[in-house]
Amino acid sequence: MTVTGSPDGGSLTLEAAITDSGFEQLLATLDAELVGLVPVKTRIREIASLLLIEKLRGQVGLSAGAPSLHMSFTGNPGTGKTTVALRMAGILHALGYVRKGHLVAATRDDLVGQFIGHTAPKTKEVLKRAMGGVLFIDEAYFLYRPENERDYGQEAIEILLQVMENQRDDLVVILAGYRDRMERFFQSNPGMSSRIAHHVDFPDYTPEELLLIAGLMLEKMQYRLSPEAEAALVEYVALRRAQPNFANARSIRNALDRARLRQASRLVTDPAGPLTRQALMTIEAEDVRASRVFRDADAGSEPGDGGAR
Amino acid sequence: MTLADGPLPLVAGKRYAAGVLKYAQMGYWEPDYEPRDTDVLAVFRITPQDGVDPAEAAAAVAGESSTATWTVVWTDRLTAAERYRAKAYRVDPVPGSADQYFAYIAYDLDLFEPGSIANLSASIIGNVFGFKPLKALRLEDMRFPAAYVKTYDGPPTGIIVERERLDKFGRPLLGATVKPKLGLSGRNYGRVVYEALRGGLDFTKDDENANSQPFMHWRDRFLFVMEAVNRASASTGEVKGHYLNVTAATMEDMYERADFARDLGSVVVMIDLVIGYTAIQSMSKWARRNDMILHLHRAGHSTYTRQKAHGVSFRVISKWMRLAGVDHIHAGTVVGKLEGDPDMVQGYYNVLREPHNEVDLRRGLFFEQDWAGLRAVMPVASGGIHAGQMHQLLGYLGDDTILQFGGGTIGHPMGIQAGATANRVALEAMVLARNEGRDIWAEGPEILADAARDCTPLRAALDTWGDITFDYTSTDTSDFTPTATPA
Amino acid sequence: MRLTQGTFSFLPDLTDAQIRAQVEYCLEHGWAVSVEHTDDPHPRNTYWEMFGLPMFDIHDAAGVMAEIDAARATFPHHYVRVMAFDSTRGVESVRLSFIVNRPAHEPGFALLRDEAAGRTIRYAIRSYAADRPEGERYG
Repeated sequence: MTVTGSPDGGSLTLEAAITDSGFEQLLATLDAELVGLVPVKTRIREIASLLLIEKLRGQVGLSAGAPSLHMSFTGNPGTGKTTVALRMAGILHALGYVRKGHLVAATRDDLVGQFIGHTAPKTKEVLKRAMGGVLFIDEAYFLYRPENERDYGQEAIEILLQVMENQRDDLVVILAGYRDRMERFFQSNPGMSSRIAHHVDFPDYTPEELLLIAGLMLEKMQYRLSPEAEAALVEYVALRRAQPNFANARSIRNALDRARLRQASRLVTDPAGPLTRQALMTIEAEDVRASRVFRDADAGSEPGDGGAR
Repeated sequence: MTLADGPLPLVAGKRYAAGVLKYAQMGYWEPDYEPRDTDVLAVFRITPQDGVDPAEAAAAVAGESSTATWTVVWTDRLTAAERYRAKAYRVDPVPGSADQYFAYIAYDLDLFEPGSIANLSASIIGNVFGFKPLKALRLEDMRFPAAYVKTYDGPPTGIIVERERLDKFGRPLLGATVKPKLGLSGRNYGRVVYEALRGGLDFTKDDENANSQPFMHWRDRFLFVMEAVNRASASTGEVKGHYLNVTAATMEDMYERADFARDLGSVVVMIDLVIGYTAIQSMSKWARRNDMILHLHRAGHSTYTRQKAHGVSFRVISKWMRLAGVDHIHAGTVVGKLEGDPDMVQGYYNVLREPHNEVDLRRGLFFEQDWAGLRAVMPVASGGIHAGQMHQLLGYLGDDTILQFGGGTIGHPMGIQAGATANRVALEAMVLARNEGRDIWAEGPEILADAARDCTPLRAALDTWGDITFDYTSTDTSDFTPTATPA
Repeated sequence: MRLTQGTFSFLPDLTDAQIRAQVEYCLEHGWAVSVEHTDDPHPRNTYWEMFGLPMFDIHDAAGVMAEIDAARATFPHHYVRVMAFDSTRGVESVRLSFIVNRPAHEPGFALLRDEAAGRTIRYAIRSYAADRPEGERYG
């Protein structure tokens, strides 16, 4: 990132710094790609602004010390945590805080070994690949299994803590998971908690946002809903949200896939007239209403798996 | 220019009646012919005599390099003549020239014996160059189908295996020819070898005419050289080599010399182009059987490669030598004392090193050429180069090359070892800087000056030769500069 | 003596910053970097001991530097080298190889001459260090 000033003042233009870093484009991409998530986007913008100003302050000789960049993203599944982590990697790279800007996603299985001596090399492997970029650890709390004293997750945690503290120039770590579980994890691991600079919570999507997401997905898949199907979907969303294991955007995706299945079945077994382009594209109300969600809501029964309706 | 409207071929009855016909009428000019994937293609630069139609001239070249003779013969009809006739299928004017044309000719695969450069060259250039209707003729480039390439074993070692055997990666290799070319006794010759290798070069070299003369018999040279090579290897811990020249009067003598080199433990032997294509292929086979690197000195090539209008382009010789199977070939330095335009030299290097060549008219590559897995040849840059040019050499020629500094090592004011060290330090410093991302074209002299601060031999070399350049106009240059549009 | 194997042996020993720059160059080209060590530096010794596997899929030199430092810390008295492997067709071999650590004292090699028929000599090179068993050769 070029700077237009000299260490003792001069003409530092914010505009120049912003355009040079591609700051606005990255935030605009984030805006366009993800529906809703207003509190998240606001928070990201705040963090990015802080980093940008820190950079500019550094250029004129002011410093608040090396910024801590490690983050924690909490929220239900399907709320965009991984996507935002990826965008964050790009923003950090554009602002010069990470050297390469790639994202490595890992879970406990990638970091923890099955026998003695297995964990350290495994963790170090992942860290090596992530250096210069962002390490995204999903469901990070699974690293901590205090009930099993032979569990090797603690070793991985120790190594991570080391790197998060001593190699802040080389790596940014983003932990993610359900809010309550992450809270418990941080309580039991104060070392980890103290190294996290930014906690960002990803609220569930509102019903309106979910319908918007559905719309974007359908457009991409080149399907449309009939007006009756639209109404049915609105009802579906309201019902499904109330049920357990709701995975936000992912659940919407699953629902649309199921609807496609039923549409295809319907067209093959009982076509009402010739198969026009229109017919191929349109999902009817019956395709949506056939879902168990409607039946279960009536019957008040518990759904079994996470989202298969 | 409607070259496509040349004379038309005739129907059979008229075609084979006795008498003289134009070549184009005999079927050697076929503008609609689509070359097959299995055809061998050639492009000639033709300068027809005044009044000779270019298509007819092209057809004549096609004819005389395949089946024709100057008059119609009935015996043609005993053959599948259509198949065996070479077809001139395209003629383009040479950009910027009033009387030269590029003639493209296709040859059926069956015209050639598998795996024989002697046959290939006899076929393509054996008959046609003295032809009167042409003022001048030059073979510019050839395309070999994979079907033909696969009939050759190719380089016995190749660049990759050579590096693996020497355990030297990431930089050009360094060499020097022993000087004076002739006159040293065996013992004194070995002294030069030892000093140069000990000082830091990877290879030293017999000159092309160091064979077996009254002042030094070949066996004595080999014995003293191998003592020097091994002494230097022990002093440095590196694999070292000297190209022992096994060129001799007969194949039997050559085999005797090569076997002796092998028995003494040399990693490399050397032959001169003048031994001929048949001998080169025999030596290639020998080299593979004996795990030996084969160095080819292109002695004599300039007699026919240097002039743009007439002869055979070195590009074609390079391709033939890759097929015939040599591991090193001298291919030009660009900035040294011998002929070599940058674009042309880069063309030769690409032909020798790449697994696949794209059409690159600016560098003289007229055809796409797939080398079908044939190993690569290490080009050798030798002739009037010195350490002060290291950034240009690295920039023009890349890593997979051997830079030979004969005078630039042996003529060093502080002695031969110092000369070798100066070259090695200059090279390593330049490679280091290039890898770090520095612009060696712009910063080359500065990088050398920095390295010279820790290395007195390099300082002395730069002071002695810093201003030497060889700036003459090249005789063989590109016809296609970036702004011109090829026909 | 100073063993001059490797691409940069004629230059002063590389600093960590210089090593890092070379590793970045390799990673930019997509080459897999590995670290090896030995106490038998004979020129025909192709196979040094591997310090871990070649590192594939690495984007930044930081991870590699950690391995290099670990190797040098573990084997301070051995030769340690960094190698880069290129798997593209037509190469499939080593692209760069340079020494990043050497023993404090390098005794060098003896040249053994075995006199055969005529004036022919069969040569061999023996490392003085190799007089002692592996692991006890340097310091």
